[in-house]
Amino acid sequence: MNDLFSNLWLGFSVAGSPVNLGFCLLGALVGTLVGVLPGIGTVATIAMLLPITFGLDPVGALIMLAGIYYGAQYGGSTTSILVNIPGEATSVITCLDGHEMAKQGRAGAALSIAAIGSFFAGCVATVLVAALGEPLTKVALEFGPAEYFALMLLGLIFAVVLAKGSVLKSVAMVMTGLLLSTIGSDIDTGVGRMTLGMPELLDGIGFTNVAMGLFGFAEIIRNLEVSAVNRDIVQSKIKGLMPTRKDLKDSAWPIARGTVLGSILGILPGGGAVVSSFAAYTLEKKLAKDPKRFGHGAIEGVAGPESANNAAAQTSFIPLLTLGIPPNAVMALMVGAMTIHGIIPGPQVMTKQPDLFWGMIASMWFGNLMLVIINLPLVGVWVRLLRVPYRILFPSIIVFCCIGIYSIDNSASDVIIAALFGLFGYWLMKHDFEPAPLVLAFVLGPLMEDNLRRAMLIARGDTTVFVTRPISAVLIAISVALLVIAILPMIRKRREEVFVESEN
Amino acid sequence: MAESTKNSPGGGGVFPLRIRAPRDFFGGLALIALALFAMWAARDLSGVSGYSFGPGTVPRLFASLLILIGAAVAISGLFNDGPPLESYALRGPLYVVGAIVAFALLIRGARVGGIRIPEFGLIIATFVAFMIAVLGGTKIRLLESLIAAAAMTAFCVVLFRYLLQLPFPLWPSF
Repeated sequence: MNDLFSNLWLGFSVAGSPVNLGFCLLGALVGTLVGVLPGIGTVATIAMLLPITFGLDPVGALIMLAGIYYGAQYGGSTTSILVNIPGEATSVITCLDGHEMAKQGRAGAALSIAAIGSFFAGCVATVLVAALGEPLTKVALEFGPAEYFALMLLGLIFAVVLAKGSVLKSVAMVMTGLLLSTIGSDIDTGVGRMTLGMPELLDGIGFTNVAMGLFGFAEIIRNLEVSAVNRDIVQSKIKGLMPTRKDLKDSAWPIARGTVLGSILGILPGGGAVVSSFAAYTLEKKLAKDPKRFGHGAIEGVAGPESANNAAAQTSFIPLLTLGIPPNAVMALMVGAMTIHGIIPGPQVMTKQPDLFWGMIASMWFGNLMLVIINLPLVGVWVRLLRVPYRILFPSIIVFCCIGIYSIDNSASDVIIAALFGLFGYWLMKHDFEPAPLVLAFVLGPLMEDNLRRAMLIARGDTTVFVTRPISAVLIAISVALLVIAILPMIRKRREEVFVESEN
Repeated sequence: MAESTKNSPGGGGVFPLRIRAPRDFFGGLALIALALFAMWAARDLSGVSGYSFGPGTVPRLFASLLILIGAAVAISGLFNDGPPLESYALRGPLYVVGAIVAFALLIRGARVGGIRIPEFGLIIATFVAFMIAVLGGTKIRLLESLIAAAAMTAFCVVLFRYLLQLPFPLWPSF
């Protein structure tokens, strides 16, 4: 326990230095800005802004990127509440009750409850990351290739189970991602694989290009097709930011429940902020005495999901920092950012670079505090930003993405690859395939292959190694059980019910 | 989502195997095609030798699994009802991709076929890409777009070249 406090103290002294506070503030502001803008998600944002952090020192760079990430969660909810368009996928569910509250003139209360809930969740998650960091790192040291492989398999299965739509199609996306990830040089022999003789493909397809194509460009192409979205901005002046005593009382438990749920789902590989906000909404609706109020401005429908998505956004750093496994696409980008700065994510980060590890964790708390302080007074500014028409916004996003991709490797072919993935993403949308499992599989693919090959080599080709080693056996058993549950039609129907709520 | 899910006449079809969910059916087929293509591209890679995997083992393993699952998706498209295929827009994808490709070709120059494109630099690449992208929208206001493109170009130059000091060529060099 003493260790925890001395570590946190180290973290707070690192994160509290004026320079790092500045990066944290900048990240939180930029994150909020982009989070507010609909039509550009967190993944594309971070991919786009990676080059900005090239010149910084590693601690500052990661603090800023983390700030962008949870800043975007806050910004997304602002748009959901005021305009009824989710600024981020994580705040889709906040539209339902948040915007209803705004229409009833309670926009201030909705915004402040979202902020308070997020802040509370952020604080709890920060402590959780700090507390779980050390024990999980110890567990990670027990992991051999077989365990790593099994854990990643579990992550992919989670991603499949938690994705929207058909389980079968999500599995298909996972396989597509895995297959695409094998393009490029072989790790053992260095032979170019499936490069079709193109030297540009020898290094493999960069993850940022895939992410930018599927989440950035495809989204824009799709938006251009949908006729002008009706932006129903709440025009009346937002008055009374303070929630009433009753609001606070009503949302206290939902905030606590959302925090717990979000923290758990965030740690799980394949989970994350989007899923946890949906789950929290469903939970609140189930627990409510009068579920009919949901969709008509129930404050619980804002408090629960907003706390959950923020908690998950932060706890998803746990698998990355302790095991070196990115649990979702955003964390995969963080891997990219760390690699650029010469840091290999994994259990050794905590022992070798404690200032980085604890500094980043402590900065999350500062960041959340800043967001509460800056966000509410700045609501007016964010609303004005929403009046920028899409016809100006989308070319700007495209140009910015192009420069971002180009600058990562000074490679024009990367830009073209991203464009191709934009078209591929558009095709996927037309066939109701979800890109999220594909992207996670694409990230985990090389790690999985590496560990699979090593495990097989160590076990002398004996495939039973995955079920004879205890940790691996447990992980595999959970994976299989999850998949069976997901495929059982009865449960599938219930899954649909959960997600249908997001559609209308 | 499309409401016309049940556009096909109920009751028994003429075919016992009508395509009931074309998005799944053709989506699955396309994934099979992708996997077959990968199989072909990986044909020369060596496989397992002794206890160790060759470079071709895992790609072929994943491709085979994708064929199986793609087939399952396609077959499920024959038995479950699903929404009809959506038509593709041409304008948006064309100009969006056009803008991106233009940026890629102009920034440092390139050789396409036999034609050499000289290096145009960040300023021209950004401006041109912005203007091409604008054409992908539905409402085009030329003057407004020109001003926005100029402003965005200036912003990017200041941010990337001067604040972040990334090594971009600013101006054309022929």
